[in-house]
Amino acid sequence: MRLLVIEDDTTLRESLCRQLAEAGFGVEQAADGREGLYFALEYPVDLAIVDLGLPEISGLDVIREVRDKGKTYPILILTARDRWQDKVDGLDAGADDYVVKPFHYEEVSARVNALLRRSGGWASSVLSAGPVTLDTTRQELKVNNAEIELTSYEYRIIEHLMMRAGEVISKTELTDRLYDQDFERDSNVIEVFIGRLRKKMDPDNSIKPIETLRGRGYRFALDRNQAG
Amino acid sequence: MSSLSARLLVSVSLLLIFFFGATIVVLDSAFREAGEQAQEDILDTQLMALIAEAEPNAKGELEMPFALREPRFGNLGSGLFGALMDESDTPVWTSRSSLGLDVPYGPRPASGAHSFSRVTLPDGTPLMALSLHVQWELASGELKPYTFSVAQSLDSFNAQLKSFRRQLFTWFGAIALIMLFSISIVMRSLLKPLRQIESEITEIEAGRREALSDDFPDELSSVARNMNVLVGSERGRSERYRNTLDNLAHSLKTPLAAIRSILTEQRSSELTQRVEAQIERMNDIVRYQLRKPSTVKTESFGVVAVPVDQELRKLVDGLHKVYKDKHPAILVDVTEGILFRGDTGDFLELAGNLLDNACKWCKSKVSLTIRPLPGASVDSGGMRMIVDDDGPGIPDDARDALLQRGMRLDESAPGHGIGLAVVKDIATSYGGDILISQSEFGGARITVTVNPQ
Repeated sequence: MRLLVIEDDTTLRESLCRQLAEAGFGVEQAADGREGLYFALEYPVDLAIVDLGLPEISGLDVIREVRDKGKTYPILILTARDRWQDKVDGLDAGADDYVVKPFHYEEVSARVNALLRRSGGWASSVLSAGPVTLDTTRQELKVNNAEIELTSYEYRIIEHLMMRAGEVISKTELTDRLYDQDFERDSNVIEVFIGRLRKKMDPDNSIKPIETLRGRGYRFALDRNQAG
Repeated sequence: MSSLSARLLVSVSLLLIFFFGATIVVLDSAFREAGEQAQEDILDTQLMALIAEAEPNAKGELEMPFALREPRFGNLGSGLFGALMDESDTPVWTSRSSLGLDVPYGPRPASGAHSFSRVTLPDGTPLMALSLHVQWELASGELKPYTFSVAQSLDSFNAQLKSFRRQLFTWFGAIALIMLFSISIVMRSLLKPLRQIESEITEIEAGRREALSDDFPDELSSVARNMNVLVGSERGRSERYRNTLDNLAHSLKTPLAAIRSILTEQRSSELTQRVEAQIERMNDIVRYQLRKPSTVKTESFGVVAVPVDQELRKLVDGLHKVYKDKHPAILVDVTEGILFRGDTGDFLELAGNLLDNACKWCKSKVSLTIRPLPGASVDSGGMRMIVDDDGPGIPDDARDALLQRGMRLDESAPGHGIGLAVVKDIATSYGGDILISQSEFGGARITVTVNPQ
């Protein structure tokens, strides 16, 4: 999952981004409203964290512009202004949730996970489809109640596919979500990871959780369980 | 006397009474003098006619003919009397009109002189009398003194004078009334702009208007302009105050957030926990102090009318987003068209904190009811907000403590205490109150009143 963090305080932004990256997110960062708006419109983003008090273009205007341009990914507001008027203005402009400074990192990460899950159409933090369950808070994958060991790259891929279960995800999108920009991009690596995931989750090829659509990408093929 | 128009009407009335009174006195005395002069002239003519008709008889005494040329001397009750007296003031002749009456003719004048006098008949009729004392030269050349007198009743003259006075008072009275009426109409149109300013200021105070209009006459337009500048600066002041607080909050909290974020990266150590505790303390202070109500009740010019249902819609939409997972039913029941008189931010702070707390603690149901206070109209600003939830409720013994600044019942749900303390502060600054009780849903019920009349 790729996050965009727009925050003008360098110390706070860098620290927050480090922790989000450590948690397995691909993180893009911007230090002012103008740069942030550019990234928000031009880069592949799954969720944006926007500070309301930004230089150049205010956080509220960034959110309005992003929504005007038809982007629907969730937006989390960081605000030092604790007044309800500011929260209501932010939510009304198109944000989905807010965190009030000074926040604990855990608070941000919990909101981010909840928003991502909701944007994928999942009501709970445990995604469950057929015999497969993915606990996004504990980062655990189970098939038929047996836990499966995953590397962090593998986890990120299965999380992305399952979050958007039923949708076709292109290789480019997966690569984008997987690596930070500086990494060399090689879509063959994705094929290798998908192969390993299939082997780990479905050694006897009976449930076929990940479908390959030639030339288009991959799809998590199992139907979502109603309860999950 | 506080009303300008009453003052003007009273002064104009006094002036009218004075001028018209003086005019009446002058006209009356001129009319009376002219009338009296005319009466005297008539008497003089009658006297001369009487003298012309006197003839000495054979005995050398003056006699009056039986029938005089002036018939009124011969008619009883004609009001014109005549008499001729000899040197001993014994009447030689009296007119037939004075038959049975003892007509007084006043004192005898000196020889050859006229003498007018006012006399009264025994029955009270006022008379004007004229006497002339002459030395009549008889045919023998002897001079014999006689007094000719005439008197005329003043009844008809007095009646004329009375009618003249009545007309004078009637006309001047009517003119005075018409003038006062016209002046009060003129006053009304002259004072209209003042009344307009007054009612517009009342509207501004009540939040129904932003500024004075600009269609006042020249004399008042500068007053209106200055008034608008004052109103604007008053509003600007509370806005600047709020912005300063917001900026201060922002510039304090961002570094706190940065410190906290860096601490989290360090993983837990004793130092981290101690610094964390201090951050929490600083944050509480900043949150509480910088979220104080923005409107002080005396700043009546900063007050606007906030359409409650419109603001609530945005707030409830926002809360639905924030509590999407919990998905509580938020029932809003607001009297249609009800207005909050005060700062929009304050209203959102009241409703936001109450609803947020309720959503945080409820199982599945939250309700907000807003009604005008008993006896208050929907646009008076006086209202009662009741928020219910079906959560665990607030125990009796904790209720007072919760309303103290920043006191928290449960550390795991940050902001509960500060939220209620802020609500209490805002309600108090609007002259209202907050009450915590048990909801019929089973959870807490918070009742807040604002702007009681």
